[in-house]
Amino acid sequence: MVPLAIARQTVREALRRRVMWIFLICGVFLIALGPVFGFLSPKDSQTVLRSLGLAAILLAGLFITIVTCIYLIPVEIERRTIYTILSKPVQRFEFVLGKFLGGFAVVFINIAAMGVVFLMMIRFQEGKVPVDMFKGVYLTFFQMLLLAALTIFFSTFATPVLNFFMSFGIFIVGNLGSVTDSLTTSRNGTARLAGTIIHYLLPNFSNFNIQNTLIHPAQEITNPDVFIRQNILYALIYSAVLLILAVIIFDRREV
Amino acid sequence: MQKAIKKLPASVQKRTAPMAALVVALLGAGAFLQAKIDPVARKIHQSEQSIDQVSGGLNNEFMLLPLLGFREAAAGLLWVRCDEFFHSGDYDAILPLVRVITLLDPHAENVFVTGAWHLSYNFTDSNERSDRRYIAPSQALLDEGIRNNPAIPDIKFEKGWQNFDKTKNYTEAESALKDCISGPFHNEKGVKGSDDFPFACPLKTLHLLAHTYEKQGRIPEALEEWRKARERTESVMKEDEKNNKPLNYSNKQMWFAEVHNYDEDLQRYHNRYTTVKHDSINPSNPPQPGVLWPTGPGVANQPWDVVFTPTIEVKRPKVLRISGRFNSADGARVDVRITDWNYPERPLVDIKNSFKVDMSQTILVDSMAVRKGAFDRELDMSKDPKMYSFSQPEYKIVLSYNPRTTSPHLTDRFGWSGEGITDGNKGHVYLDAREPLLGTALIAGQGATGPIWDGVTIPWAEHTQPVRMIAVTYRVSRAQMMGEKPITDADMVPTKL
Repeated sequence: MVPLAIARQTVREALRRRVMWIFLICGVFLIALGPVFGFLSPKDSQTVLRSLGLAAILLAGLFITIVTCIYLIPVEIERRTIYTILSKPVQRFEFVLGKFLGGFAVVFINIAAMGVVFLMMIRFQEGKVPVDMFKGVYLTFFQMLLLAALTIFFSTFATPVLNFFMSFGIFIVGNLGSVTDSLTTSRNGTARLAGTIIHYLLPNFSNFNIQNTLIHPAQEITNPDVFIRQNILYALIYSAVLLILAVIIFDRREV
Repeated sequence: MQKAIKKLPASVQKRTAPMAALVVALLGAGAFLQAKIDPVARKIHQSEQSIDQVSGGLNNEFMLLPLLGFREAAAGLLWVRCDEFFHSGDYDAILPLVRVITLLDPHAENVFVTGAWHLSYNFTDSNERSDRRYIAPSQALLDEGIRNNPAIPDIKFEKGWQNFDKTKNYTEAESALKDCISGPFHNEKGVKGSDDFPFACPLKTLHLLAHTYEKQGRIPEALEEWRKARERTESVMKEDEKNNKPLNYSNKQMWFAEVHNYDEDLQRYHNRYTTVKHDSINPSNPPQPGVLWPTGPGVANQPWDVVFTPTIEVKRPKVLRISGRFNSADGARVDVRITDWNYPERPLVDIKNSFKVDMSQTILVDSMAVRKGAFDRELDMSKDPKMYSFSQPEYKIVLSYNPRTTSPHLTDRFGWSGEGITDGNKGHVYLDAREPLLGTALIAGQGATGPIWDGVTIPWAEHTQPVRMIAVTYRVSRAQMMGEKPITDADMVPTKL
């Protein structure tokens, strides 16, 4: 239960960070702005509220995840508190896992808070909460889970500033899934190889972007539940890969 | 100096190899899963344009959102900007935004519909005449919207409506409306959960299709469409009654309209085409079809001679006064169409990046009201050089009267396809016999070649009746449009639409 103890402590520390609260407040504020677009036609205002709400959750979640997770390990090393922890019967993999679970919990709390506000706004404007909107919120959560694992992986060897740019950069590349997918069938051999590596080896964040089908109810996904389960499994598998790699690196790191 | 070799703890060494193996196995599983996800993801994003194609029209503040995967949010915010521009009258600013929004969010059906409406209706000259050059991009935008959203009836309906109302292209209107009614599964059933489920389209689509058939002189099909619409309304009302829902007066009103329009079409057919005595409208004896004019005892009734005598006077450069006689009841309108001589009827446009139109093209479409058998109108194109650049060497001026676009009280006189109209100058009578424009033969002769509808057999889908129009065409030079030379009857050429 060592990782859980570390996770609890991580959550406490993260919740003390003002920057996280600022992003959360910004996210909630953006979501709450939704009904302002009531001057548009009912169909348009519904589209704007939904798309803006999901985007606000994702955008705030993105910054909260990165800003929270980039500091989790470096701060312990910088303050030398890691010596105290590792001098106890705590394995390094337990430390990494604990930090990840802590970061994961913080992301969950934030996205859940924004999700509740978002669903309340939908209820307020549309008089009901479509099930699809839940799907949008929890797919965002799993997307952030994957991002948290990526950030923790980088934090085992990179400085926070470097980590920020690397995580953000890979998030953007990972969102260009349709581009990398088309590269996998490119006639140019180099482009095809690069596309295949990026598409299949780097975390593909665009898998979770199904906002369009959620916003426009006429657009349907074939077997949506299977597709969503596959995406959740994808997030879990890649998070596991990144955590194992983080443990392998952190095992070899001098602190 | 020998470099110190760091020795890892035994437990770490021991677990490294299995962990590495696990990473490889999990990456394989992830790649496998990605291959499973890809086909569905491709389908979801199939109509989305890649970011590099969209980025040209985006400000930096909006660029970040699509890069992070928030295409729809960026599209939504840009749509809000469009609304602001619309209410401030900055119509030009809306066009690039509509293009970017529809590229970012190819399923924003409202943007396709509103954008196409904006293109077709809101760009006008100083006399409120539409800039017809925008019709082609508008239609192309609707076509793109239909391709991206085959299950959405609204875009197909808008295409039908614009062709019915704006361009009077009833062939295109019919095609779009039939597609709308047929729905995504081609069985008139809609997607579950859609607004009109179990039907694929709103009821108004059937109504508009019926009116489209009327405008094409295809009355048996119009009657059939009114009947289908009435049946649909009755089924909805019965379903409401079965579910103990209160009476929906909108449905009831629709039902009355459908019954009325069905009866009215039959009544008009009867009055206009059948050989009965129609008291004051057609006091002939023996009785003759209402669209033919009694010329005297024992003489077969004839079409009405409108004695079309137009004259065109160039008052100033780009200012034409068109006047003349058209011997019909008040309310008739003589259409005027001025274009470059080689103006393509439906120019092919590439709207991939923008809705830009060829500003060197000139087209004016207007109509002149007939009062007491005469028309007189000054068309001033000098105030709008951007719309009427007159940069080509030759122009076509077509003055015409089309019985299919006229109001019902005149169709009573001339028939749905102009069977009851003629001109003493035979060169002014133009039979438009293009296959898609043929209507049902409702009266013997008058250019039709096929069998006559008997008024009982429904539907009758054999189309053999051409449109009998009154039309003259002038071929004039730029110098004439600029008033350097007069426009006379010598400039008339055979009409070919």
